Amino acid sequence: MEEQKNKPIPELIEIENTQDRYRWVAMAAMLLAISIILHTVSPQLGPVTPNWGIAMYCIVINICGLSLKQAMGLGFIAGVIIVPSSKSAFPLGNLVADFSGAVACWAVLRLLDSFGLPNFKFRPLLSCFCGTMASGGSFTFILLFILGLPLKVWIFGMLPVVAMVAGVNCVIAQVLTAPVKRLFYVQEEEDK
Amino acid sequence: METAIKLKDFYFGYKKGGLVLKDINLEIPKGSFTVIVGPSGAGKTTLCKAMTGVVPFYSGGRYAGEVEIEGASTQGKMVSDLAMKIGFIMEDYESQLVSMTAGEEISFSLINHGFPVEEISARVSQALEDVGLPGRETYQLDELSGGQRQRLLLASVLAVHPDIIILDEPVSAMDPDGAYNLYQLIGRLHAQYGTTIVAVEHRVDYLLPFVTDMIGIKQGEIVAHGPFAAAARQLYEDEEMRQLLPPLWQVKLGLEQKLSLDLGDWRTETDAISDFRTFNLEGRAD
Repeated sequence: MEEQKNKPIPELIEIENTQDRYRWVAMAAMLLAISIILHTVSPQLGPVTPNWGIAMYCIVINICGLSLKQAMGLGFIAGVIIVPSSKSAFPLGNLVADFSGAVACWAVLRLLDSFGLPNFKFRPLLSCFCGTMASGGSFTFILLFILGLPLKVWIFGMLPVVAMVAGVNCVIAQVLTAPVKRLFYVQEEEDK
Repeated sequence: METAIKLKDFYFGYKKGGLVLKDINLEIPKGSFTVIVGPSGAGKTTLCKAMTGVVPFYSGGRYAGEVEIEGASTQGKMVSDLAMKIGFIMEDYESQLVSMTAGEEISFSLINHGFPVEEISARVSQALEDVGLPGRETYQLDELSGGQRQRLLLASVLAVHPDIIILDEPVSAMDPDGAYNLYQLIGRLHAQYGTTIVAVEHRVDYLLPFVTDMIGIKQGEIVAHGPFAAAARQLYEDEEMRQLLPPLWQVKLGLEQKLSLDLGDWRTETDAISDFRTFNLEGRAD
């Protein structure tokens, strides 16, 4: 046993995990499914309704550190699944809106990384706010054309509402990110 | 003697933190019923994961050495590649249940492995029969009790006909009766099919009648390994590890030391009573 204790530790091989390869898909599927339910039952908060879909994919992008391609795919899928239950004048606008929302969220996170803030506490808050602004902004901009409204309506009528939704959404993302992470990484927590 | 699982100079540490397993060298004989014991945080679960290929290739981390399953290295293999040979029941068994009904739960892994439909149906029925849940194919999972769900998980592992089954504290959330019954079932299946069983268990007395080998692990290092009786003797010398032996064996080894005797292989209270009578231990212990 003494001989074993004195044995030098060999050079260790570092290996990347493969379990996260598909975990983000499971996490996204589950959270988007929850968002659909919440989308149909959640009450209006004053003049706005939280957009659960955006909050959920922002949480996934935050937790899983998705690549641009993955974020684009996630945004597109989020758009596809919201189309059938959308009550808006142009449901297909969600395809563009959620795509741009996910890309914006991803871009904000990469920007924070480039500023040396990979552990910044309010990454979900900031990225979800920008994601919702991008998503809502692009959606309402498409509506502007579809309905033939003047630009002033978009700037002074629609964008403030989008900003309010973004405000609600970013709080949801910030509050839910930690528990969702704990839930999906419970095994790793136990291992430590 | 054929080897089911072999770990050679194996070291492992998760990405964060120090080494969890250090210089692990062990062989688990084919057809054996091996119990892994050790204090909390000793590395038992990680050792189980190393045996199934989850560590290091699925979880990631730092490692050295090699793990072989039936003579083939796990290096570069997916967990799904190994799943035909080795079944794993985790401590948090509920997290392994993924389907709505008992039949679907057992079929899930078989479908993923590409078995034909007729064979799946036959294997599902047989597996449910083996674990004492015959005809429960259409039962919803929430219609089954905790113990039955655990049996169902065992059935879904058995249905694949793995050569090795690894159980990580399978009875930790069960009452003593449930725990006793589950190990009786595992012991019966071990005898019936000759499956190699590796179980992490704090209460070794549950599996005392069936266990053939034992591994003792402490602070990530193997401190005892081999046939049960020999490993138990080694562990008895360590005060911390001694507490992990079944009470019957603590008494036996204590008596052997005190009275310089060589008692029998106590697997049940009946064996102990028989030795007490043979050696007139009641009188001598006084």
